[in-house]
Amino acid sequence: MLSSPVKPQNYKTDVEIDWCPGCGDFGILNALILALQELKIPNQNVVLTGGIGCSSKIPHYVNVNAFHSLHGRSLVHAEAVKIANPDLEVISAAGDGDALGIGSAHFVAAGRRNVDLTYMIFDNGVYGLTKGQASPTLPFGEMPKSLETENIKFPVNPIFLGLASGFTFVARSYSYNIKHLKETIIRAIRHRGLAMIDIMQPCVTYNNINTKEYYDGRLYDIEKEGWNPLAENENEYREKVGQAVIKSLEWGDRIPMGVFIEYKTETYDQKLKRLIPDYGVRNYVFDPIEKNGKPLQDITEMMQSFL
Amino acid sequence: MKDLNLMVAGPQGSGINFTSDTFAKVMAREGYYVFSNAELFSTIKGEHSYFRVRVNKDVVRSYSERVDILIPLDKSSIQLHLREVSRDGVIISEERVDDDRAEIVPYRDILQNVANKFNRPLSEFNVMKNTVALAAATKMIGLEEGKLKKVIEENFASRPKIAEMNNAIVDEVYSLFNPKRELNIEPTKPAKRMLINATQAVGMGKVAAGLRFQSYYPITPASDESNYLESVMGKYNFVVEQTEDEIAAINMAIAAANTGVRAATSTSGPGFSLMVEALSYAGMTETPVVIFYYQRAGPSTGMPTRHEQGDLLYSLSAGHGEFPRVVIAPGDTTEAFYDTVESFNIAERYQVPVIVLLDKAMAMSNNTVDLFDLSKVKIDRGKLILSETSNYLRYRFTDDGISPRSVPGVPGGLVTIAGDEHGEDGHIFTEDPDNRIKMMDKRMGKMERIKKEIDEEMKVKFFGRSDSRRVIVSWGSAKGPILDAMQSFNDLSFLQIRMMSPFPADEVLKYLKGKEIIAVEQNYSGQLAELIRQKTGLETNARIVKFNGRPIAYEELIEAFSAVPKKRRVVLTYA
Repeated sequence: MLSSPVKPQNYKTDVEIDWCPGCGDFGILNALILALQELKIPNQNVVLTGGIGCSSKIPHYVNVNAFHSLHGRSLVHAEAVKIANPDLEVISAAGDGDALGIGSAHFVAAGRRNVDLTYMIFDNGVYGLTKGQASPTLPFGEMPKSLETENIKFPVNPIFLGLASGFTFVARSYSYNIKHLKETIIRAIRHRGLAMIDIMQPCVTYNNINTKEYYDGRLYDIEKEGWNPLAENENEYREKVGQAVIKSLEWGDRIPMGVFIEYKTETYDQKLKRLIPDYGVRNYVFDPIEKNGKPLQDITEMMQSFL
Repeated sequence: MKDLNLMVAGPQGSGINFTSDTFAKVMAREGYYVFSNAELFSTIKGEHSYFRVRVNKDVVRSYSERVDILIPLDKSSIQLHLREVSRDGVIISEERVDDDRAEIVPYRDILQNVANKFNRPLSEFNVMKNTVALAAATKMIGLEEGKLKKVIEENFASRPKIAEMNNAIVDEVYSLFNPKRELNIEPTKPAKRMLINATQAVGMGKVAAGLRFQSYYPITPASDESNYLESVMGKYNFVVEQTEDEIAAINMAIAAANTGVRAATSTSGPGFSLMVEALSYAGMTETPVVIFYYQRAGPSTGMPTRHEQGDLLYSLSAGHGEFPRVVIAPGDTTEAFYDTVESFNIAERYQVPVIVLLDKAMAMSNNTVDLFDLSKVKIDRGKLILSETSNYLRYRFTDDGISPRSVPGVPGGLVTIAGDEHGEDGHIFTEDPDNRIKMMDKRMGKMERIKKEIDEEMKVKFFGRSDSRRVIVSWGSAKGPILDAMQSFNDLSFLQIRMMSPFPADEVLKYLKGKEIIAVEQNYSGQLAELIRQKTGLETNARIVKFNGRPIAYEELIEAFSAVPKKRRVVLTYA
């Protein structure tokens, strides 16, 4: 990895933002930029991936490396970036449809790996960019104005699913609480392992139910009410994850936010080292594979094993 | 005899692959050329399967219909394969068979003696019946028993007790089994050749090429390659990632490539179908990712362990929208190695997705191959930037249509990548029609450039006399049986097409124009013949096709070559 002499520049690009006025996404963008400024990670060492949807345009607005991928695949791209170059700081953005509809297989599988990255889910209950169809997190029986019929499917609970899938950092925050969101992003980035933030993000155009007014009175901070999410070992984790699951089921007049679990355990780079002793010793990207066109990897022994 | 063909047949899981692999290895060490073919059922245990090993002092590139030594590991195998055994062939049997080619081997006595020697019950040795048959075969062809024992020892290097037991069986067979006659194979000189299949050749090619990231989802017949790579990744320091599905596999390979490492994924037809959306993304984002595509018999799940070349036209057209792609089809194990290395160079030089088309026959036939010449291995990473830069634009318009490629971590080289149409900076908020035309020209223009810059040898190979009237045209693993069958004719030449996209129309016209063209393909419709017509206007005079799930035996091709072009379509049926 190149150690950077470059100072963190402004983390904002001058690309014109095309979210609807008042969109909850603005709060997320601001909180992320504040978090990056506070952490002072050199711009060139950050990769921000996106899927497809309003949320996933965010890579274009943050002045870091931007991998705008396919619908549902933001997390997959993020995992591969981190595996290929563990020296990078990797953040993945996705909508709720991205993460929990089309990308749900990756969501579950990611928990098994525990790649050290931050996953931000922009959760608004609708598919905004295609004009407001029901997303996997839209509560049962609701009918925002953009829907033709009421929603007869039960919602996916991102917190519960994150805990069940083995995510080692699971949090909920709110796009209109920039201070909490910024602090949560910082904690997620500092967390060694897969960190997910389910961000309540009202869609001002299509979801007239789960609005700012809806969330403002309901969201409460579990950590302010005494919850300590930290698990330093497997026993503590087993104990806490069960309680966190119970908390995650709360929805209605009171909606919990804050960090549900923060489990310090082996990350994927550490696990890879069990199989590949030299993994991470030299950077796969910047350590050359050739010299004057000649390969540096000698396969003579591989060939000899077949004689 | 000159050509010796051994067949081991029996229920899957009864050690047939161990038997044939060991025999192939022993004969390869003796200096013979070996070509083997595996016909497996898509099951773990029980169903009838058979392996063939062809041995010759001269080079052999295909299997034969003839069986000289049949090793049946159950009763039904005798009935199923008896008619294939040549007149002077041998059936190594445990039970009496009413056939004077049968050599009866006292399996039970041999195994009982060894069981006694180790003071263990006979039941523990029944799984080693195949070793009895194997030793009987090597004794009949006059092979020194120590040579067989050495290979067995190596095979069981991690389980020395098992090696000892098997070798005690070999001793017992060599002292107790007195065959009625001997089978003589023409002697040869010792030689150093690898015994490998294409999955291993590709694996070695990837390591030599500096691969750092491989992703895959288990699928026959592609996963053998990834499993081989897993076995060496600790030593050669790269990651093989088993993903949750093929969608993740291709997306991970793409993201790893965009991070700056050489990255690939390997799959077969059903898995490739899942990858297609991302293939289009790789084309749009100009990502140098390489997909190794092992064809098997389709459509749908088809016959998962059987062979076919049915996905040529699909690999050329899969993906929505228009984008540049390179498709390379190696024709044998050696080509698989060098083409693997080159596929990464092409991918990085032109910043395009590359598909390397292989097939089940290549993936599962072990054959003798000379050591690869590593001095021929060259690495060209194209316009990759790994040190500080400035005023960087990922999709900058350049004279050759190829932009300098920075990666995350390079100071001043921030990268923006997007699958939406984008400007030079990678940002997507331009759907400007003029930009669209320039970007399409930039991407699609690579195809002409590739066509112009790539050597003829990478595109086509011509065998035989250029003045011959009849020219066979084919691709992929049909190459082996074609070269073997051609030796029986003096009016035939052969054009092997190796690069399918961009299609080498000029070279193909050069060799085929004015000739009687015979296409040989392992699919139903003659997909290459269709492609040649589309790209050159040339019509084939006859199509020899095979689509019963089995690779081509050279003898059936000899027959077919005699029948065409009087017959316009010949369907090969040997199984």
